Amino acid sequence: MSASGWATARASGAPCLRGMHRHEQGAGARGAPCLRAAYCAPGVLAILLAFAASAVAQEKLRILTTTTDLKSLAEAVGGDRVEVMSLVPPNLDPEEYQAKPQDVVRLKDARVVVRVGLDFDLWLDRLLTQATLTHADVRNLRRGGPGHVDASQAIAVLDQRGIAVGPSDGHAHASGNPHYWLDPKNAEIITGNILETLARIDPANGAYYEANRLAFLARLEAALADWSTALASLQGVPIVAYHNSWAYLARRFRLNFIGFIEQKPGVAASPARLAELIRIMGERKVPIIVRQPHEPDRAAAFLADKTGAAVVVLAGSVGALPAAQDYLSLFASNVAALSAALKAVPTR
Amino acid sequence: MMDAVALLWLPFLVALCLIGIHTYFGIQVLARNVIFVDLALAQIAALGATLAFMLGHPAQGAATYAYSLAFTLLAAFILAFTRAWSQRIPQEALIGVIYVVAAAAAILLIDRAPQGAEHLKQILTGNILTTGWHDLAVIVPLYLAIGILHWLLRARLAAQQGETWLWEFVFYASFGVVVTSSVALAGVLLVFSFLIMPAAVGVLFAATLPCQLAIGWIVGALASTAGLAASYAADLPTGAAMVCSFGAMLALAGVVKWLAGQSTADATGRIVPALRWCVVALMAGSAILVMAAPRADHPLLDSIEAVFPQARRIYFTRAESDTYLDAEKYAERYRREAEQLNERETRSRAEGETLDDLTVRRISSFIRSYTEMRRGEEFVKREVRARARERTRWMLGGLMLVVALAVAPGVLTRLVPAGSFRRSPPGGAA
Repeated sequence: MSASGWATARASGAPCLRGMHRHEQGAGARGAPCLRAAYCAPGVLAILLAFAASAVAQEKLRILTTTTDLKSLAEAVGGDRVEVMSLVPPNLDPEEYQAKPQDVVRLKDARVVVRVGLDFDLWLDRLLTQATLTHADVRNLRRGGPGHVDASQAIAVLDQRGIAVGPSDGHAHASGNPHYWLDPKNAEIITGNILETLARIDPANGAYYEANRLAFLARLEAALADWSTALASLQGVPIVAYHNSWAYLARRFRLNFIGFIEQKPGVAASPARLAELIRIMGERKVPIIVRQPHEPDRAAAFLADKTGAAVVVLAGSVGALPAAQDYLSLFASNVAALSAALKAVPTR
Repeated sequence: MMDAVALLWLPFLVALCLIGIHTYFGIQVLARNVIFVDLALAQIAALGATLAFMLGHPAQGAATYAYSLAFTLLAAFILAFTRAWSQRIPQEALIGVIYVVAAAAAILLIDRAPQGAEHLKQILTGNILTTGWHDLAVIVPLYLAIGILHWLLRARLAAQQGETWLWEFVFYASFGVVVTSSVALAGVLLVFSFLIMPAAVGVLFAATLPCQLAIGWIVGALASTAGLAASYAADLPTGAAMVCSFGAMLALAGVVKWLAGQSTADATGRIVPALRWCVVALMAGSAILVMAAPRADHPLLDSIEAVFPQARRIYFTRAESDTYLDAEKYAERYRREAEQLNERETRSRAEGETLDDLTVRRISSFIRSYTEMRRGEEFVKREVRARARERTRWMLGGLMLVVALAVAPGVLTRLVPAGSFRRSPPGGAA
């Protein structure tokens, strides 16, 4: 598959595409002198030079990520010397992703694969095994291979309960809560994991990647201060969420999630559970119910109707809402939505 | 109790409305032998809505509803035709084809517009617990209108009249409109239960449509009440609890129907031996399993021990009992310790001093250790029990076989001939 084919293969992933086109234009600009020469030269030379231009475009290091959040962070580190694609398009639940035949082709062309880990994207292992059968080079991307990045390495994992004792303990993830990218501070570790692999695979650009990462972290640090200020008024305010996706966000911004509508993944709340939530929300005067766009809205709307709380739709991943186009705007949009909701709720 | 009533009375009213119209359609569907037609119609309506959403129409807009309706009418058109082919191909096969193709086409559309996934899910997986007045305001007039239409056209729409294509189309189209709205409220599983089970009970006990309807409505209302109550009392998801309640109601109706056809003596004479043979099969099966594979899972023994832990004393030695109880105590202790650490970390997110990353990692590490230790204790429990069962397999198996023989009707009397316990008459031995 050609470079442009790789970039445009996922036409439906609009946010990722914008970034990719930008990179392609950059590559085209570098290849322009070669192309001008090709126009003036005889046909054979033109073809050779066209191949050369294509080779320049292909020099970009190809990275595959499982989610759009990791894509955004990989782009922040790799800058315009990498071409990143997320296997799971925005707004699709990465835990329920069904791989497609084209994904095997994408893996073949990639040199680095970045995953969430913590049992969040287990389907990637099966996909990698499948791809290795037809493309031997893909083994470099498998667990333990030089091109495999488990972004969860060294993360301080939360909600590590009920592992190895059986499903009755109520946690679907044996290795803890996997939504760790929702703590902006964890971007330091995630980008560190990405940088380590990029610098090993592509040592010539190691310093460039490191500079990119530091610049990104500086921007993030400045934004984090603003977000913390904006969310200061929410500290201690009780919040109910649809699913337990927000542990890391809560820890960073001192948000008080006191309950979740969905206690077991995929199982609707029972009437006793909803009655208990209504009682608790009334007693503790909960002003906000949080849900993600892909989560059912009926239960949240029902609770809001019974208690007078406001339902706030937050993006759990980059691209889940139109305002969350990259890792920084993911937090910016969520912070804005939470602040606006709290302001809109009458004093309780 | 008041909490339960306050929370469940509106869903109950919605359930009554759904049972009202679906029992009628259920009787028609049973007569036409097109049991899964509601699934096909709901799926094709969802496909229409997904297409509309993909074309940029808002999820709750008129255009989306129009697409959905158009697709349903198209499906009704096809279904009306398939009646004529049913001589050669069963109509259920074609209904199945419509269902799977519509489901697969929806997946293909979602692949192009991922944001439609949640929309599609909402069309097909309603939750009756969260329904309210606004839903009633939509379905009551809609179902009344369709009910009146069917009553006016009752002679034309009867299942036996199915030769006319137009009336078949009217039947499937109106059914499609009903199903499309009800599935969004209650979900596919529950709507299927509303459709088939009360109607099946009605058909079981009565021959005329009014009687079938009356029985179906009463049974549906009872099953809904039982399901909602069980869902609240046992903390279960409402839709699934109601479906199981409807299933139990149908099974009960089957037993009642069977009993109704016989005298009390006849019924007792059949039920008691049947139950005894069930016990025999269970005991003999468990006996063979425990003798052949004492380390395997033994559902009967495990259930007895879960309810009466003292039952283990039958085959445990004192040392085994002590080890088992010790492991149980430690497993519980490790669970509590892990839970306390978790609570401490969760509380620290919003209250008091924030825990630094190092402390969070230490807590995680401790929890992992406790979990592994608990797993170890669970292993000890399993191993002690497995060894005890292995040691006493013949005794346990033999005991269960003896119980099975004792329970089996007629076996004891054959083994011990009648009169053998009677005292011999004086001089009889001579």
